[in-house]
Amino acid sequence: MENNVILEFKNVTKKFPGITALDDVSFSIRRGEIHGICGENGAGKSTLMKILSGVYPWGSYEGQVIYEGHELKLVDRSIHQAGQEGIAIVYQELTLVPSITVGENIYLGKEPVEFGVINWDKLYADTQQVLDKYHLDVPARGIVRHLGVGKMQMTEIAKALAENAKVLILDEPTSALAEAEIEQLMEILRGLKQHGVTCIYISHKLEEFFKITDSITVLRDGKTVITRPARELNVEALVHNMVGREMKERFPKGNRKPGEVILEVEDLHAIDPEDPSYEVLKGVSFNLRRGEILGIAGLMGSGRTELVMTLFGEYGKINKGKIKLNGREITVPNSREAMLQGISLVPEDRKMHGLVLIQSILRNISLANLDQFSSLFRINDSAELKVSTDFAKSLAIKASNLNAPADSLSGGNQQKVVISKWLMSQPKVLIMDDPTRGIDVGTKYEIYKIMNDLSEKGIAIIMISSELEEVLGMSDRVMVMREGRSVGTLDIAEATQEKIMALATGIASQPIPER
Amino acid sequence: MSATTASPTKTNTSEIGQQIRNNFQTYALVVAMLVLWFLFFFLTNGIYLSAQNFSNLFRQMTITAVLSVGMVLVIVAGHIDLSVGRLAGFVSVVVAYLQAYTWNKYMPGAPEWFTTSLSVLCGLGVGTLYGVLHGYIIGYLRVPAFITTLASMWILNGLILIRTAGRTIPANQPLFSYIGQGYLPAMAGWILAIIVAILLFIQMFNGRQRRVKYGFTLAPFYQDILKTAFLAAIVFGYVGYVNAYSGVQVPVLILAIIAVIVSYVSNNTRFGRYTYAIGGNREAARLSGISIRQNTFAIFVLMGFLCGVSGVIIASYVGYGTIAAGTSYELFAIAACILGGTSTLGGVGTIFGAMIGALIMASLTNGLQIMNVQAAWQYVVSGVVLVAAVYVDMALKKSRG
Repeated sequence: MENNVILEFKNVTKKFPGITALDDVSFSIRRGEIHGICGENGAGKSTLMKILSGVYPWGSYEGQVIYEGHELKLVDRSIHQAGQEGIAIVYQELTLVPSITVGENIYLGKEPVEFGVINWDKLYADTQQVLDKYHLDVPARGIVRHLGVGKMQMTEIAKALAENAKVLILDEPTSALAEAEIEQLMEILRGLKQHGVTCIYISHKLEEFFKITDSITVLRDGKTVITRPARELNVEALVHNMVGREMKERFPKGNRKPGEVILEVEDLHAIDPEDPSYEVLKGVSFNLRRGEILGIAGLMGSGRTELVMTLFGEYGKINKGKIKLNGREITVPNSREAMLQGISLVPEDRKMHGLVLIQSILRNISLANLDQFSSLFRINDSAELKVSTDFAKSLAIKASNLNAPADSLSGGNQQKVVISKWLMSQPKVLIMDDPTRGIDVGTKYEIYKIMNDLSEKGIAIIMISSELEEVLGMSDRVMVMREGRSVGTLDIAEATQEKIMALATGIASQPIPER
Repeated sequence: MSATTASPTKTNTSEIGQQIRNNFQTYALVVAMLVLWFLFFFLTNGIYLSAQNFSNLFRQMTITAVLSVGMVLVIVAGHIDLSVGRLAGFVSVVVAYLQAYTWNKYMPGAPEWFTTSLSVLCGLGVGTLYGVLHGYIIGYLRVPAFITTLASMWILNGLILIRTAGRTIPANQPLFSYIGQGYLPAMAGWILAIIVAILLFIQMFNGRQRRVKYGFTLAPFYQDILKTAFLAAIVFGYVGYVNAYSGVQVPVLILAIIAVIVSYVSNNTRFGRYTYAIGGNREAARLSGISIRQNTFAIFVLMGFLCGVSGVIIASYVGYGTIAAGTSYELFAIAACILGGTSTLGGVGTIFGAMIGALIMASLTNGLQIMNVQAAWQYVVSGVVLVAAVYVDMALKKSRG
């Protein structure tokens, strides 16, 4: 019986300053099974995978990971070592080099060489062998860029298998795939199982678990809630286990009084400007009132970020539908125009899109608003400093000095800098894309209070969040998106985590599978 | 050389300490330059720092230093310009041609002040127009600056060959030569120094008043006075010393004016701020409503204009237009920026630093020349010093965390 277990987590605990990401996690995975792991964002799935891949090395966590009967001891950031042990990860974001062939990608870094020269014949022969063995329908000499997403993923899987992976981890493998491709992937995974490869399957799409997995582990708040054979569970049971916890007083009570409608979006369709054949928004309609917080919920890839970036003039090319501000139809060709119309956006990734990290806090706060301080050419730096200092004070940014570089701040304070920047432009509509991502609980509370303040002053807020609790705790209404569409808007009084999940996954529209 | 005045000074003593720490690199560079000067002072038995050589030293740096003023902004924004040397060279050839042939042919007997002004305007115009072309191709058509300016380097090389037809074009009319070779009369130099000092004090008092108006605490009065007096003393010292030879050099004056203006622009206008923001994080800048195209366009237009300035000075200083004019100056300009602390990754760099960088490069070449080191070895030493200096700078940065 013991021999049947290939991988076992024993009391694994991983702490970060202020957060316990994994809390005494214990479960085991049997050899040759497909083991599903599900949980909300922040439940600890990715932390667990980072331990398996060596990003969080042995010694940085408590507890043990037993693999093939011995304790897994990976050294710092050694993806290679995990690979040698036979553990491979297929990431959500594909990690192939697009400009070279499938074969070259599969053997990248471990090319067969003779006297320092690559033996291309052997490389492609080996590639073909791997592809044939696992029935992967990919051309060995095809350039990766010319393949579809589905084939790229197969290449990624082949790459892992070429290293003789015994355990294959698939992180959200279907988030970018079309329906037919998903079916193909399922077929491949069943094939792998016959070859004795163990798979760990992570997904947000709960129905998938029942098509493919043998057993399922549910994580919640860094703890294992259950590990059970899939046939003993159903979607409802999963949802219940994922979200079933009492709400604590984590959200400050606001005194919001939503006023008249300020923003209306009618049947908005938009395409990806880089790839016109790809429609990112396929019909989104909603309205937003003054002084209201509208939450937008949805799974990864549901088009939430794409929607707000389109409203901000920086992503999608609108090909159908209307945006009305104060009853007047507007166009937003770029972010500058959006700002002038009164729409501001606190972006999802504050380091990549929100801040110039090497510059001072002061310059970051004033960056989008230098027009206010400029007369003809000159910037009045005293006025700039005064106004920025006032904002920094009112949002309680904790910094020794506004001349300190932005990257010296903690994540929460960085986020406050980004918020200050956008408040200074005096928006009527403030869009916040996952405003509390990666922020500790205390600062989260402060940001919630800021949001309440702003909405009480009449600013309309759109908040995207992956945490359902946050959506429920902060919003007046919740719009749910799925696959580029708005699929429903719930009043906060009627909204529950189960209802939102049902809309987001689409299980409400089809009968829940009986098992 | 009073380009420091433009840095935004904030209040109270602890922040001044902070400022010193922030500008550590610049101060280290100034110290390195002084060390170099003293080294050559002893190696050349004092000739190096004689009034005559001191005066020459500064004049020698001006041509590449004018280019590096623009190059700082180009590199800060995350671009590069490989064509500046050849563009300046082309401008010098065009200006020399105008001086030598065109005006004589079409406007015989026109007053010299008129033709000289016209030549200068044409030179600046040619440089600026070429900058407009660069700005359009790089900013709007989004062809990478590296490729665009590499191509320009070849194109301009060809244009220089066509214009000169392999011959040297004389341009040695007295008024025209004054631009690159002239000196201000001693009295004019002193008056200039007094004006600069007065402006420095006015600037300081204005700054204090503004800070009071916005309710900030002021630095102690004596501190501001001392700082300003120190800057004024440097200006007076410099004027006094070059007056001991022939007076304030006209090209150095031109460089100083340009450096101060562009330095001020880089800190105190939207254009300057946006340039640093784009170089620091292009995406964040774009999402802050900044038009990256317009800004890139403006940067290359400015760069073209400064190539025009540099080209006019070359023609005037050398006294003729030649095929070789401006060759490899782009590399000196880039080296001066990097030596002066401009990051090749973009987002970081100051005009003042680049000026010190240019001065160090000129000091090195000049010192080696006085010591009669062969031209071949001058190249070798310059190369070694450049790499060593940048390495030391990186090591210092790392050791300070």
